[in-house]
Amino acid sequence: MHKFTDTDRFNRVKKTSTIHYNMEVNKVLSEIIDDFPDNPEGMNYFYDKFKIPDGSGSIYPKGKKLIASMCIHVPVELIIALDAVPVRICSGAYSADAAGSDFLPAKTCPMVKSTMGALYLDMLPGNAKPDLVINPTTCDQKKKIGEMGDEVDKEFYMLEVPPTKDSEEARQYWQRVIKKLIKKLESVTGNKLTRKKLKRAIHAVAHAQSEFRKFMAMRKNVPVIYGKDALLVTNAYFFDDIYSWTTNLEKLNKELEDRQKKEITVSKKKAPRILLTGSPSIFPNMRTPVLVEKMGGVIVYEEFCSSSRMLYDTVAVDEWFLYDMIPGIADRYLKPSTCPNFSPNDDRLRKIMKAMDEYKVDGVVYQTFTGCQLYDLESRKISHELEKAGFPVLNVEVDYNPEDSGQLTTRLEAFLESVKDNKRKN
Amino acid sequence: MNRIKKYINNSNVSRFRFIVQILAFFLFVYGGYFFIHVGQQLPTFACPYNAGSPGTCYLIAMQHGLHMEWKDLISYRGLAFFMGLGTFVLFFIIFNKSWCGFMCPLGTLQDWITKVRKATMTKFSRYDQLGFKRLKKIKYVLLILIIIIPLGMSNSFFGAPKISHDMSAPFCQICPGRTVLPLFSGDTSQLFIDFRNPTTIVMSSLGILITALFFVGSFLKKRFFCFFCPMSALQFLFSRFGVLRLTKNGENCTKCGNCYRVCDVGILEIAEDVTSKNIVKDDCMMCFKCVEACPEENCLDVKVLNQKIFSSTEEGFFKRYGHQEELTKTTKEKDA
Repeated sequence: MHKFTDTDRFNRVKKTSTIHYNMEVNKVLSEIIDDFPDNPEGMNYFYDKFKIPDGSGSIYPKGKKLIASMCIHVPVELIIALDAVPVRICSGAYSADAAGSDFLPAKTCPMVKSTMGALYLDMLPGNAKPDLVINPTTCDQKKKIGEMGDEVDKEFYMLEVPPTKDSEEARQYWQRVIKKLIKKLESVTGNKLTRKKLKRAIHAVAHAQSEFRKFMAMRKNVPVIYGKDALLVTNAYFFDDIYSWTTNLEKLNKELEDRQKKEITVSKKKAPRILLTGSPSIFPNMRTPVLVEKMGGVIVYEEFCSSSRMLYDTVAVDEWFLYDMIPGIADRYLKPSTCPNFSPNDDRLRKIMKAMDEYKVDGVVYQTFTGCQLYDLESRKISHELEKAGFPVLNVEVDYNPEDSGQLTTRLEAFLESVKDNKRKN
Repeated sequence: MNRIKKYINNSNVSRFRFIVQILAFFLFVYGGYFFIHVGQQLPTFACPYNAGSPGTCYLIAMQHGLHMEWKDLISYRGLAFFMGLGTFVLFFIIFNKSWCGFMCPLGTLQDWITKVRKATMTKFSRYDQLGFKRLKKIKYVLLILIIIIPLGMSNSFFGAPKISHDMSAPFCQICPGRTVLPLFSGDTSQLFIDFRNPTTIVMSSLGILITALFFVGSFLKKRFFCFFCPMSALQFLFSRFGVLRLTKNGENCTKCGNCYRVCDVGILEIAEDVTSKNIVKDDCMMCFKCVEACPEENCLDVKVLNQKIFSSTEEGFFKRYGHQEELTKTTKEKDA
């Protein structure tokens, strides 16, 4: 078991953290569901996904290997094609943050701490018990937790993400990294990657993406869905079965289309349209989006790795054989990524600028987690460019601790007021 | 109008191209038998060594045309040469480099060889970017040579002796079109080594060697020969005046690389260059597979006289890649 801690303490921490976790989940869910009228019916499926499951059993199909991953550089197509279950475990739970602090310095980003805590206490979504944790070497903190697999009693696999993505060297390197990953996955799952299965997996993901793109396209017009709901939809993709996720998003899309025709909007039609970017909001850490929308704004686009960045880009191949599919997948998980671990990362600015125009955004909220250096480092340039283009930007530094909401509320309120003013003037 | 646009944007251009290629192949290989004659300035490999050819590849006309003394350049002979060049340019700028992707019989042949390779499930090879940059210069070297050599046969460069007449139409002597295309008329007479003198031995041996390379190379690599084709180099000089254009709207590009993945000639700029508007590079053959594979709205556009005739769209992408059907199939299997 856990080599470096005594069992008593572990049990105690696990017990209290679980209680806190349940409270946290219920509280955030009720804020998201009950405090807003007129939630689309199609959202119920996604809300249910976040409720605490009865009992301590795993929600995943039995007999299949469970492959946990972090970040957005792990190709889910490969995991699906190898008959394993992909689960993304980046955690948003404050209740797991304290347990994670045992492993990491105090100033570490809360998402990394929380993820470590959740791994340690087995508080992963749907009671997942991963057979392998794929840990991409993105930021320094994610890199270093890759060495702590033993301490949380999990097998970690380092996925070597290059520090840059534009050069040909980086591409070649990454192609080989993915080939190595396939070998590892094959040995963990005991299955062999076949052409037919990989093709089907690519199609399954592409179908999910096409529904996601339809969903996003709807948000370009009058607001028929809140960002807090959109975030839950994409967040459910972390651990849901891809087929049922897609089918249910399809249903939701139909409902939203209908609402769009009838012009049933969730907020006022003239509500300030906000783009959210920076460190990713992951359930139950939904404070920023919920606050923005409670105060009359509506989030129309999230430039997050928990959202648009994860699901947007597609795979196309010329010849449906492994020799073309694998490099195609590798390219898709490297080249269009706008993760700030890459330098240069001009693509992120381009993506935001395009969204500003397409989604008719009025203002940007740039969220940085305390201790998240990379997003912090990029905030200056991005805010500057946005302001130069005439868009108001609010930079907020947030933690997972719900106690320090006061200041955030005040700042967001003032910002939304000024965005409204701006909008009225123009 | 919008419905027509949508229909075209959702359509499978590669299938259309496949059919056009077959028709063009018959025209340029057998058209002569049907008394079709389309002139001597064609910007494609209609090879006069093939009895059925309805016209002549401009490279041969150019090589013969340049076989003149300096003083003739400013005479009616020179005028004839420049008129020929003008006709070539006129032919070319209408269809731009799609001559390569849709009409060239040698290009079509390579695409068919690719189909054979696919059927055998053999992996294709790609040049790495460094090799790509080096090798792509060869076609310009060849182009310069086929301009200099004919001139050197009539003129003496810096007092050096004139080049032997055995070097007449030097590119044709090594061009796989000369050896391969007549085969389709049942003519094997071009497969020989000419033992008259050392020059002819070298040139005709090179011709046979390159023919063999053509088959092996295009089996292993898509459009292997096009990479070295001096016609492609000559065309590219006039490409920017083309009526048919391929443009990129870099703002909409996410660099996902789908276009590069499907590109038969391996042009990386199509995915990485987000600033150039005109994205036709010297190796581009305007097959428009990149447009088909692009899921971004109006990121890649095919234009005629600045009017969009085929654009990349999200809907078209998902239609072409057959994702929809596949899922219904899988969900059904799952339900069953």
